[in-house]
Amino acid sequence: MKEALRVEWTKLRTVPGTGWLLAAVVLLTVALGVVASSAVTCSGTGCGQDPAKISLTGIAFGQAVVAVLAVLAVGGEYGTGMIRVTFAALPRRSTVLVAKAAVVGALVLVAGAVAVLVSVLAGRLILPGNGFTEAHGHAVLSLADGPVVRAAVGSVLYLVLVGLLSVGVATVVRDAAAAIGVVLGLLYLFPIVAAVVSDPDWFKRLHRISPMTAGLAVQATTDVAALPISPWAGLGVLGLWAAGALLAGGLVLQLRDA
Amino acid sequence: MEATIEVSGLRKRYGPTVALDGMTFTVAPGKVTGFVGPNGAGKSTTMRVILGLDSVDEGHALVGGRPYRSLRHPLRQVGSLLDASALQPSRTGRNHLLWLAHSQGLGARRVDEVAERVGLTSAIRRKAGGYSLGMRQRLGIAAALLGDPPVLVLDEPVNGMDPEGIRWVRGFLRALAAEGRAVLVSSHLMSELQDTADHVVIAGRGKVIADVGVAELIEAASGARVTVRTSDRTAAMTVLARAGATVAVTATDTLTVSGLSGERVVALLGEDSVPFSEVSAHRASLEEAYMELTRDAVEFHAAGDAR
Repeated sequence: MKEALRVEWTKLRTVPGTGWLLAAVVLLTVALGVVASSAVTCSGTGCGQDPAKISLTGIAFGQAVVAVLAVLAVGGEYGTGMIRVTFAALPRRSTVLVAKAAVVGALVLVAGAVAVLVSVLAGRLILPGNGFTEAHGHAVLSLADGPVVRAAVGSVLYLVLVGLLSVGVATVVRDAAAAIGVVLGLLYLFPIVAAVVSDPDWFKRLHRISPMTAGLAVQATTDVAALPISPWAGLGVLGLWAAGALLAGGLVLQLRDA
Repeated sequence: MEATIEVSGLRKRYGPTVALDGMTFTVAPGKVTGFVGPNGAGKSTTMRVILGLDSVDEGHALVGGRPYRSLRHPLRQVGSLLDASALQPSRTGRNHLLWLAHSQGLGARRVDEVAERVGLTSAIRRKAGGYSLGMRQRLGIAAALLGDPPVLVLDEPVNGMDPEGIRWVRGFLRALAAEGRAVLVSSHLMSELQDTADHVVIAGRGKVIADVGVAELIEAASGARVTVRTSDRTAAMTVLARAGATVAVTATDTLTVSGLSGERVVALLGEDSVPFSEVSAHRASLEEAYMELTRDAVEFHAAGDAR
């Protein structure tokens, strides 16, 4: 296992794409967070906005880059046939999958933490100027505030879980382009479908099983009781998706020829 | 570990297609064993099975008496090259070898050693995507040597190499075998194995057609035949046929004669004053021997298709 981890780390650090994609996760997440924080205003008490969620808006876009990074870590090897070299060197395929997931997860954890910290900091600086003031019932965004910490930590974990989901899907699909399509479809399709569903029960159900909508419930700091699913349970739904994808990937690796 | 490969009764189907149909052979240490056959004969599939990449419906493949997937550091037991292009183009050759070295608990020093051994030192820090196919083959051979393994499995290693590269690989394989390693090298061209292989396993349609020493094979195909070079082909044919020989025309001025010794041919041609410039024992090429051996199978195949 130690060797497999070292192998995957060496592989990822020796292709230039990894660094660029990690930088893109941070930049895209922060940039969209800044845009959202600048665009939203709170005109009075009970304006119905959630400042923590607004400052972390970028996560919903940064996750696409995380998906690309994670899919390429697996799909890139299938595309070139290098996966056979990997499995000739490390015949225990499940160990390889776990190592890939662990290294991708660790890199996303670091990039995600940076992206989230900067996003929250930007929100803390920008939002008070847009009416998110004590007078309107909004404390300044602070990581001393329990729900804000949960939103921040949860957002980082959200990105990590999207990365793991992508590793699993790419292992099942064995093709980078198709895997990116599947992952982005899983993430963005549920909210789109839910938006056109008029039945409130089905709306709720879709939000509870959607990896993205349920997972992002972890960012909510206001009106938590009104959410279709509680914050940590929502992140758990995404966790189940990721675990399911990794298990399916592990199974496919055992059953199919490399 | 004993340097052997043992392939026994491999059977594998892909849907209705039979890929392996009882493939059985062994590879001995200290020899280069050629694995020959047309495309689709099951050579690559067999190699993937040996390396634990593909499963089989029946049979087993053992390396040094053990299944590949049970080996702790497999590249220290078996070095392999299946596809020289199986690498990520944006990574340097050195880093490609580095992650492989790490998988076997080896370090960067070993990487530089094998790069030097295959003559790739000057290009090793460049991106592998910019390598020619010949350079990729060298990189792949370097990867196969990383763990200093007693067994080597190489799928078409000279494919895409220039003549100088081909000569280098041949000498290299011979040297590896001379060190006591078991070397299995596949090719779809028998001629590529001339002067390289000591032993050949000829495959067709998923099984072994022949498993024979190269010297033996060439001797059998050469037979007791004599090559005659003459400017008067007709007269020579008449004289020799009258004496009971079977004569075949192999070129405008060349005949291949069987059923008579070289001395007898010289005597007969001299008696009738038929001019000749050369009478020699015929020596078949490996390619010729291969064609001879597979002719029956091919004819049967053609007849079968006509029906």
